[in-house]
Amino acid sequence: MTERNILREFMPLFAPKTVAVVGASTKGAAFPNVFIRRIREFGYDGEIYPIHPTADEIDGLPAYRSFAETPKPVDYAFIAIPAAQIPPLLSAANGRLRFAQVISSGFGEVDEGRELQAELVAAAHAGGARLIGPNCLGLYTPRGKVTFAEIGSKELGVVGVISQSGGLGTDTIRRGFARGLKFSGLVTVGNCADVTPSDLLEFYLADEPTRVIGMYIETAKDGRRLFEILKRANAVKPVIILKGGRTQQGLQAAASHTGSLAGDDRVWIALSRQTGCILVDTVDQFVDTLLLFQMLTPQPAHPLQRVVLFGNGGGASVLATDYFARLGLDVTPFDKPTIDALAALKLPPGTSITNPVDCPVGTLQQDDGRVAEKILDIIYSAGKPDALVMHLNMSAFVGRSKPEVLDNLVKVALRVQEHYPGQAHFLLVLRSDADPPLEKRKREFRDHAIALGVPVYDEMSNAGHALAALQTYERFVHKRQT
Amino acid sequence: MTISSLISVARQEGRTALDEAGGKALLAQYGIAVPKTMVVKSADEVDTVLRGLALPVVVKVVSPEILHKSDAGGVRVNLASANEVRDAIHAMSALPKIKNARVDGWLIEEMAPSGQELVVGGFRDPDFGPLVMVGLGGIFVEVLQDVSFRICPITRLDAEEMIDELKGAAVLKGARGRKPASRDAIVDVLLKMGGESGLLMQHAEEIKEADVNPLIVSETAAVAVDARFLLA
Repeated sequence: MTERNILREFMPLFAPKTVAVVGASTKGAAFPNVFIRRIREFGYDGEIYPIHPTADEIDGLPAYRSFAETPKPVDYAFIAIPAAQIPPLLSAANGRLRFAQVISSGFGEVDEGRELQAELVAAAHAGGARLIGPNCLGLYTPRGKVTFAEIGSKELGVVGVISQSGGLGTDTIRRGFARGLKFSGLVTVGNCADVTPSDLLEFYLADEPTRVIGMYIETAKDGRRLFEILKRANAVKPVIILKGGRTQQGLQAAASHTGSLAGDDRVWIALSRQTGCILVDTVDQFVDTLLLFQMLTPQPAHPLQRVVLFGNGGGASVLATDYFARLGLDVTPFDKPTIDALAALKLPPGTSITNPVDCPVGTLQQDDGRVAEKILDIIYSAGKPDALVMHLNMSAFVGRSKPEVLDNLVKVALRVQEHYPGQAHFLLVLRSDADPPLEKRKREFRDHAIALGVPVYDEMSNAGHALAALQTYERFVHKRQT
Repeated sequence: MTISSLISVARQEGRTALDEAGGKALLAQYGIAVPKTMVVKSADEVDTVLRGLALPVVVKVVSPEILHKSDAGGVRVNLASANEVRDAIHAMSALPKIKNARVDGWLIEEMAPSGQELVVGGFRDPDFGPLVMVGLGGIFVEVLQDVSFRICPITRLDAEEMIDELKGAAVLKGARGRKPASRDAIVDVLLKMGGESGLLMQHAEEIKEADVNPLIVSETAAVAVDARFLLA
């Protein structure tokens, strides 16, 4: 399908002018009632049509008996009623429904629902609609001001997500929200009886706002097509795949979750090597990696190799060096001229200047952070990093420094960045210990850093995995596109 | 025999696999080198066929009922004369696993030049279609499972990365005094198996599993010494 066609086909899903809701009750307590409330709060300004067999009004909106009766044709329908009642409703849509998202379960994920799922797809097609789901939770689309989730940014972002699990979709939105992730869309696709992750991947690849794509996949029944789409895209946008069911036991769990018998792990490794898509193993890695690609611009002309660690905490630096090295990142010491230049700063005892650069808080806050500026300037000019990870152990700042010190440090780092444009990726790790006041302060610092365009991580290992993903991507593009 | 008839004859006979001679004929059709091979019905024909082959030779049992010939005792190597070949056939015929199987004949082939043993294969994934595989032979593949896969069709760069991905890749370059194995020859075989117009793509619907084991790779060339194809 051409780019223009795929955009035209799926735009009513991402920016519906009319939304129908099936399953809302007059008592206002069902999940579809919650959905109506959420999209209103989210700012949805199109028409909302509750569909109900008997009620005249639901949540203050006039209700209709079927899709055939609504004032305008429906772009998107949110459907959560008992499974067996859905096919007749869809087959009677008579071309007046574009996308039906079926939240209800009881279809292909259980043996006795297989036949009903086939019936559901046939009914949707007979009525002229594409089917999303069944057995999913909904979608979150800031540009359409439609969401199934309780929280999430209203701002249109760059991260497009497709999730075969509804719960994981919610996790991604919620955790992403706290971390500053801004979405161009998130669609939960459940059993993928009609619209598949490959369809939505094609949309996001063509969609201008989307710059990075995340997929949670348990099975790819159209794996061949997924391979061909990714191969043709040639890593034009980073695609991060969180694949469920990569072990024998995980496969069995996936089979009872979305009724899928997912494929062989070797296939997924091959897929990533051939197409440049990046495989991650946990929700944290998924969010960490999406965040990195949202905030940083890949530099395939010189793929990431050399990482400089800079912060407070000697043991943490050593462990991070080990961890990064295992991930294939280079944290080797500086050459002699760089070390000599750093030594000339005559930093206080307890400061290590070889890479990792380990500075006690006392050093970092000297002169309102201006010492840090001198250190960073030497690191950038002589040390030639491809990435700089600044890590701060929050507890060491407590009671010893003014709140603005940390802010100054981040600003100093960004100022040095500007002097060396495009040279190094900058990441911030804010380490904490679950102490409530400290966590609160960390959140403030994090929000501030995010606003300045810096990706912030909870631990060195999280930053390491995200950087390793960036390295994989930059190397692939370097080799295949340059 | 053409390729499609090789496969269709096997199917008509109710077989789920190609025998060694059929498998090698299939490889040869795609330009993969196989040793020069003759098939005899019995030991009586040995003198005639040996005139067309360079000694020493290998003799292997041909039986649709025996997939793992070595395990059944059905392979004898380094036979330097017609007498040695005849003795080998008589001795193998008497082995229990062979005596009780349907034996179609004996395959006599020239010894491959020495080199490193590799394995090249493929299988059909129900969702993604054909995949191609490479690994180092012997314990590397059997014990360490040091193999790499790609989805077909592969490019030259894919083939090179498949080789580099092997933990034993250094062995191919000639580690510990071994002679290096020709990288070009391995890449060439991988492309003939898994490339755009390669064997696995052309027969994606017909081949369930392919196993070229061993592929002997010298400093200059690669020869498929044994091949097994399971039909879909």
